[in-house]
Amino acid sequence: MVYKMNKYSQRDLNGWRYAYPFILPGLILIIVFVVFPMLFTLRIAFSEYKIVQGTINFVGIQNFKTIFTESNKEFWYAYRNNFLYAIVTVPFIVFGGMIFSYLINNLEKGGSIFKVGFYFPVITSWVIVSLVFKYMFNNSSRGLINYFLVDILHILDDYVPWLLREWSGNLAIWIMGIWKNTGWAMLIYLAALQSIPKMLYEASDLDGATSIQKFRYITIPWLKPTTFFVLVNMIIGSFNVFLQVMLLTSGGPNGKTSVLQYMLYDRAFAKFQFGEASAVGLISSITIVILTIVLNKILNLDNQEGN
Amino acid sequence: MKKIMLLLLSSIIVISSTFASGATEDENGDVTLKFWYTYGDSEEEILLNEVIPMWEEENPNIKIDCIRQDGSQFHQMIVTSFGTGNGPDVARIEITKTAAYANQGGLVAVNEYPEFANKKNNFLEGPLSTNLFKDSYYGLPLDTNCKAAVVNTNILKNELGLDNIPLTMEEFFTKAKNRDKFSLNVSGFGDWDLYTYFWLFGGVLTNDGFTKASGYINSDASVNAINTMIKLHDDGIFTIRDLDGSVDAWDGIESEYAMFFEGPWYNFNAKAELGIVPSIIPTYQGRSASIVGGENIAIFSTSKYQDESWKFVQFMTSDKVQKAMLKSGQLPVLKDMVESSVVLENPIWSVYMEQLKSAKARIPSPYTSDIETVWKNAMTAIFVEGDNVQSQMDKLAIELDEILSK
Repeated sequence: MVYKMNKYSQRDLNGWRYAYPFILPGLILIIVFVVFPMLFTLRIAFSEYKIVQGTINFVGIQNFKTIFTESNKEFWYAYRNNFLYAIVTVPFIVFGGMIFSYLINNLEKGGSIFKVGFYFPVITSWVIVSLVFKYMFNNSSRGLINYFLVDILHILDDYVPWLLREWSGNLAIWIMGIWKNTGWAMLIYLAALQSIPKMLYEASDLDGATSIQKFRYITIPWLKPTTFFVLVNMIIGSFNVFLQVMLLTSGGPNGKTSVLQYMLYDRAFAKFQFGEASAVGLISSITIVILTIVLNKILNLDNQEGN
Repeated sequence: MKKIMLLLLSSIIVISSTFASGATEDENGDVTLKFWYTYGDSEEEILLNEVIPMWEEENPNIKIDCIRQDGSQFHQMIVTSFGTGNGPDVARIEITKTAAYANQGGLVAVNEYPEFANKKNNFLEGPLSTNLFKDSYYGLPLDTNCKAAVVNTNILKNELGLDNIPLTMEEFFTKAKNRDKFSLNVSGFGDWDLYTYFWLFGGVLTNDGFTKASGYINSDASVNAINTMIKLHDDGIFTIRDLDGSVDAWDGIESEYAMFFEGPWYNFNAKAELGIVPSIIPTYQGRSASIVGGENIAIFSTSKYQDESWKFVQFMTSDKVQKAMLKSGQLPVLKDMVESSVVLENPIWSVYMEQLKSAKARIPSPYTSDIETVWKNAMTAIFVEGDNVQSQMDKLAIELDEILSK
């Protein structure tokens, strides 16, 4: 037994010796650029950090207290908006992606054109898209949305300053998120659709199933693991919303369209409050971890992978 | 394999140490200072082709590495450099940011240099005061500006029936009211946008010592100033681009607006054929007003060569450099130059230098970003949501008091 253990240990050691040079560069990069910043952020969240002097004074939970009790409730608005973003956009992205991929998959001709068309928003720069959305949601008849609603359809009497109000500003951010991400979900679903055995559809044809019945009873159940994958990715992604908020509303009015990532950026770079920014970052990370665990439990992902 | 790893790690260390510090010193003992700025093309051309050669001739052992940064991200670049230590030795920074950087300990107090006492009196008081923070000066003024009126005289004549630029806003508004287009434009709700109007119409931000806003920003005079803006907007005279989605001022002044307020960087020379000229902002109830802008030049506390940097700062604020930079529209900060014939005989610069007399600086504070945020929030609530002016100004006064007491 002792002989065997020695033998295995020696073999293991040899294995590690050869493996180390391969994993070391990656490991160093991860330690320097991921692990160290994470631990450092954790420390700053509980400290007052003077960036020039590099002094870090422990202040306990003061940073958290400050962001929780501010009179304009920016943190709570930001936190709420992250959840709202997930609740509003994810269903549209998941169902949109699923339906569009199903339709494209059943096309006999022109599928590629639609694939490119739907995927195009995904690869387009956030900055460019934000500028386009800014024009679309312009406050006067120069904005496409106002022009249609007021001048063409006569649904509204007055032009709406979309990006200067809480709910219309959030709506613009949500619409942009849906438009930008549906193509990604579609592509994932398209790949998953290829794995559904053709014979299931052929058998259902013989049974006289309609297209809707085939979609309901064959496609949706077979796409379940993919749906969970898209769902988890999109929900976690909702907590990383940043660019569209910065470019469309800058969190205004009064922080009511802000999100956690934007608040973090604003605290650190505009206000030099690195402790508060790190506290926001920490809360954001904890929320994502909890969400991932909860989603795993609810969706039973471990078993899904085995299917 | 070990050799490759060693090589890789050493390269990383060498590369990082190369970029780690601002200034560098070569084997001859020559020093290179990093100078960060956000000059435009015309300013940079004079800096690189006239100013820097002048410096190099006088100081062959101190080289200047001129680095032009993106204006929109300049503040973020500076904040990052504070953390990494990989920043400039000297930078041209916004006047409103000076106190904030000093508060972080990022700038060197230049009043500790013996030359400062003599040099101090050469500067215009307004621009110099923007460097003052907690009884020390953390830079020197480099250039100054303010807003003056940009007027389209053709529109004024053909559509408002005014042969000359009006001396009073009352006259301008009377004529503009009969027009079916907006005549006066401002971009948004920020301090740089609205303070001039607020002051022009009689508003007051704080007491003279900038320590209290209650009783000033929510006074009857201040509430009236905001109400005047609202009335002008309702009358179709005054448009806020971000509220109305109206055409941007620079485009609109060519065909739609009769007037807007802008700094000396507006390209008057190129637009002269359209009848666009600079003018003193017409008075309202006998007073004119404007807002002070401009930049300071400061030494970063992370610099290894602060004495050399101080030498460069003095050079950049010297008479000859100020004269050279004036050619690109950088208005001088030296008292002697304000009254010089070069300035007074120039039809554009003379207007701005005259307007500077009635221009006020924003509240000097390390928390200018917070001040602008609360101001913007109040203005958005008033103009977008139509909230009660008095209650919003009362709320703003409390928020400002809190910031000013920090």
